This record gives sequence, structure tokens and C-alpha cells, in this order.
Amino acid sequence: MNPFAALPSTLRTNYRSDMQLLDSGFVRFWAIAGLCIALVLPLLLTNFWTGIANQVFIAVIGALALNLLMGTTGQISLGHAGFIAAGAFTSAALVTHFEAPIVVSLIAATILGAILGVLVGLPALRLKGLYLAVSTLAAYFVIVVGLGQYQAAISYGAGFTMPPAGIFGYTIGSERNWFYVLLPITLVVLLINVNWLRSAYGRAWMAIHHRDISAESLGINAAVYKLLAFSASTALTCFAGALWAYHTGFVSVEAFDFHMLIQYLAIVIIGGLGSIIGCVLGAIFVVVLPHVISYATEAIPALQGMGSKVFELQIGVFGVIMLLFLILEPRGLAGIWARVRFYFQLWPFKYRAWES
Amino acid sequence: MSLLLVILIQAAFYALLGMGYVLIYRATRILNLAHGDLMVLGAFLFFQALVMTGGNLPVAVAVGLVGSAIVGALTYFGVMRPLAGYPVAVGVLATIALGIVLRSLTTFIWTGQTRYPGEFLGQLGKPIQLMAGLSISGIDVGIIVVAAMAMIGFPILLQRAAIGVEMRGVAENALLAAQRGINIHTINAVSWAAATAMAAVAGIFFALKVRLGPDIWYVGLAGFAPALIGGMDSLKGIALGALIVAAAEVLASRFIAPQIAMAAPFLILLVALWIRPWGIFGSKEELERI
Repeated sequence: MNPFAALPSTLRTNYRSDMQLLDSGFVRFWAIAGLCIALVLPLLLTNFWTGIANQVFIAVIGALALNLLMGTTGQISLGHAGFIAAGAFTSAALVTHFEAPIVVSLIAATILGAILGVLVGLPALRLKGLYLAVSTLAAYFVIVVGLGQYQAAISYGAGFTMPPAGIFGYTIGSERNWFYVLLPITLVVLLINVNWLRSAYGRAWMAIHHRDISAESLGINAAVYKLLAFSASTALTCFAGALWAYHTGFVSVEAFDFHMLIQYLAIVIIGGLGSIIGCVLGAIFVVVLPHVISYATEAIPALQGMGSKVFELQIGVFGVIMLLFLILEPRGLAGIWARVRFYFQLWPFKYRAWES
Repeated sequence: MSLLLVILIQAAFYALLGMGYVLIYRATRILNLAHGDLMVLGAFLFFQALVMTGGNLPVAVAVGLVGSAIVGALTYFGVMRPLAGYPVAVGVLATIALGIVLRSLTTFIWTGQTRYPGEFLGQLGKPIQLMAGLSISGIDVGIIVVAAMAMIGFPILLQRAAIGVEMRGVAENALLAAQRGINIHTINAVSWAAATAMAAVAGIFFALKVRLGPDIWYVGLAGFAPALIGGMDSLKGIALGALIVAAAEVLASRFIAPQIAMAAPFLILLVALWIRPWGIFGSKEELERI
């Protein structure tokens, strides 16, 4: 099969091809090739980089949840790190008090997230734009301080150590094991998100994003769908948080600081708001970039001697890249990706007849 | 009685912070989440000048204010003006990004070490006995006086001075103001400069009174709570908003737990947003309600 024989086309002539997920030989080829590469990847990578790949998986799940809210439904949420903390603490609490197995605590975190999402989403029925963003930011601070109090009361401020995760008597110990657990989970979450977007839910959310009043006049119950978006997003976030807790092995409220909040915002902004491929690209970019920077500070003589300031450099570079994307390419990496794709699709012609 | 005094001092500090938020919101309709970091930067500029002049307070304050004003104007031209016409959310996200850039910059230049510029104060730092069992330090008097001056001065400036009238004009209808020959970008830059200078004022006071370090940015961030409770487009609302938030914070830290105090402004804010989202004195039309 020639991988370049049939590039993905935007011209569909029937409904069946419109609903197809892998709509051309090119996409099918690369989907299978990508999966094969992903399956052998942990055998090629060192333990350290497999761990990074696992962080990417969890970041992808968290970013998809944030993107569902900010990109698809257009409700700004600045409380994302708070919800991740809620998920992580749910599993930590269940493990500490009841010694719950991983499956139970993951499901419990997801259900709690769905309920929390409705609570946090309630102000969204009254507030829009800036005021909603502020209310989620306030919720973040309240959640984190509350969890900090809980942590101080239960573990005397030290934090919670998670037991090694195990399913069906089989322990997920090494990073390589984690990779093979997280890869299918991430793929399933990706598929769920893709399907949400092409179902009635996704269309309703996008309609609310564009203008909620006209969405209501089309018969969409904006209030219900907004709450649904908050609920689904927060459930997924808490799920990611619980996974994070098990993968990291240690839960402490200090991990969910403002920096984590900014990291997730950076993923969806750099990736491109509203784009699923953008979430994946953004997560890879944001998780790998700090390691590239610290590698660069060791390798490049001019940057040596930064020593303790590497962390500041990482954060600063983040901010600068976020600003550059916001100002120069608001559609993010997904936008760049689309432009490159169209260039090859249209070659040797230069202009499209329509903007997509 | 001493509790009331503590609340008053804290409220004055919050009023100084909140004013910066309101000035920027009125001008560019953006909630500036980098305010806390601009505050830290202003305080560090002040500290640098203080060290270099060997403790010359007036010069250091002037350097801090002017330096911050320049940073504010540059921020407008560098970051906010290219984002004009984008959804408000993009502007807010940009201020978050700007905040972390500034934070890493200040940590880079001045390291994460905590400083105590209050030692340069000398006599000003000493408590003054008001009556039996009630004393106030010179710096606290300064906070209250400056906050009161700003609360009275800014509305007069906006009402009477030519630049204040132009500011109001740009805030009300930027297109019309531009048609009348007002350079809206200059005016917006002035608003940003003034707001950043206010942030520096708050930062300098906090540095002198408590401490100075890159980690105090969250103190500045908390200032958006009183601004929102009072009403984002209202200067007089800040006084009441600041009093409510300060009272909640001081009482929570005194009677419940000091750790809760950090969350108190935000808890109050959540309640306020639920009951009266446009703030106590804010105009209802400002809020895009459903």
C-alpha cells in the first residue's frame, strides 16, 4: 500500500464516508503504523523516557477533558488543577481509609468528578466569559486549600503514599507495565472524545460555544448541556487525577499548584483549542519541553551553570511560548498541522476555494 | 478594637490592589491575572533601588513606581494591543502566561530568596501608641493614607482631568473616542501604566510590612476578589469589597484557622458571584448574562 496514494480529503460525497473515522488509505496506513510504533516504543526507550511517555498519556486525558470544556463548549475553566487534585485525593483517601483496589477507586473518582462538575458548573448557568473563569479560579483555590486541610489532618501534612497498582493479581510496577496499561486507556478516552464530538452532544456543545442564545432557539437546552459538559469534563479530569495518583505513587497538595493549572492551559492553547489532535500534540510538547530545556542547559556550554535556575527557565519558556501562540497562532499546533496538511493536499496549487 | 484596626489596614491594602484590577478592566475589559506578578516586579525594582541608594526611601519609591509604569505600558503595547479584537478569554489567558514569564524573570534576576526591606525603614517601622493597648506602625498609617488618597483621587481624576475624561470616553466607546481624535492606544497604555504603578504601591507596602520574595504574587492575585465583589467597573465599590474580604480573611484567621484565611477571599467571591455577579456597585449591563 502506497502511504501517499490517497491523502485525507475534505470532500465527502456520502454520509457513510462522512462518519468514517479512518477515511482514507493514508490515514488507515498511518493509524496502524502509529499503533505498531507505539506498541514497540517502550522496548526502545529507556525507563526514564517511558515514564515521560506515561506522563504524556495522563496529560492527554486531562487535556481532552479541559478541551471538552474550553474548546468545544466554550466555557473557560481555570480550575482544572483543582479537579485533578480532587480525583487524586479521592483515590488516595479511598486507599488510605478503605484500602480500595485501583478499579474501585478509579470508578469512584470518576463518579465524584461527575458530581463535582455539576456543582462547579452551576454558576455557568448564571455567569459567562470572564466571570465564569473567575468563579472556576476561585473554586480552584477553595478546593486546594480544603484538600490541604484534609491532608494536614489525616497525614500530618506529609502527603499520601499510594500502594503499587494491581489488576487481577498482577502488579503494575515498572514504567513499561504502566505504558501498556495507559496506552489502551488513552486510546479509549480519545475514541470517546471523538465520538462525543460527532454525536448530538458534540453538536449541541459546539452550538453553545458559538452562541448559546441561538443554540437555545434551535431547541438545545443550553443549561442541561452546559452542566453535561462540566460533568463529563470534570469526571474525565478526576479520572486522570486518579491515574496520576497511582502512576506518581505519592499524592500531596503541593503538586497541584498554579504551575499545574498553567501546564494544562498551555497544553490546550499550544495544541489548539477545540482540536483533539491538538490535545495530543500539545501534551507531548508541554510534557517533553522541560526535559529538552534541562538537557539543553547541560549540553550547551553557554547555558551551563544555570544549576538551580533551570526550573525558572522552564517556566519562563512556557510562558513565552504560550504568549507567542496566543498572539501569532491562536489555532495552535493543530492549526499549523492543518496548514501543512492542506499544503500537501493541494500541491501544486496554493489556495483553497474555502476556508475551513 | 485592635481587630477592627487590623481589618481596616488589610482592607486598605486590598483596595490598593483592587484599584489596579478595576483600572485595567475599565480600560481594556480584561481581568489582569498577571497583577500579582507585576506587583512583585514593582516591589523588587523598589528594593533594588533601595539597596543601590543605601536606603533612600523616596528615590526608591519613585524608581519602583516609574519602572512599573513603564513595564505596564510596555505590557499593553507588547501583549494586549496585538490581542485586541480577540475574545476576552484569550486576553485573560495571555495575562496568565505573562504572569509566569514575569515570575520566572524576577526569580531569575533576584533569586527566590526572601528579603526584608522593612529593616531600611528605621523610625517609620516603629509602632505608634494611639491609646492604651492600641498601636499602629508607621507603615500601616501609610497604607491607609495612600489607599484613602487613591480612593478619593482617582474618581476626581476621572471626572475632572482631561486624561480622565478621555479614559472614560475610550472605556465607553473606543470607536467613537478614536473618531474624536483621541489616541485610544495611548490612553489604554496610560491606564495599564497607572494600574501597574498601583500594583507597585501595594507591592512596596507589602514588602516593607511583611516580606519580599517571588512567592508573594498570590497576595496580589487575591486582590481580584474585592474588585469583583465591589463591581469590576466601579471604583467606589472597591472600598466596600475590600472591607468585606478583609473582614472575612482576618476573622477566619483569628477564629477558625490561619490556613483557611487564604481561601476566605475566594469563598466569599464564589458566594458573591452566585448572589450578585455584577458586584455591589457594578453596572448590570456590563455582565453578559444569560
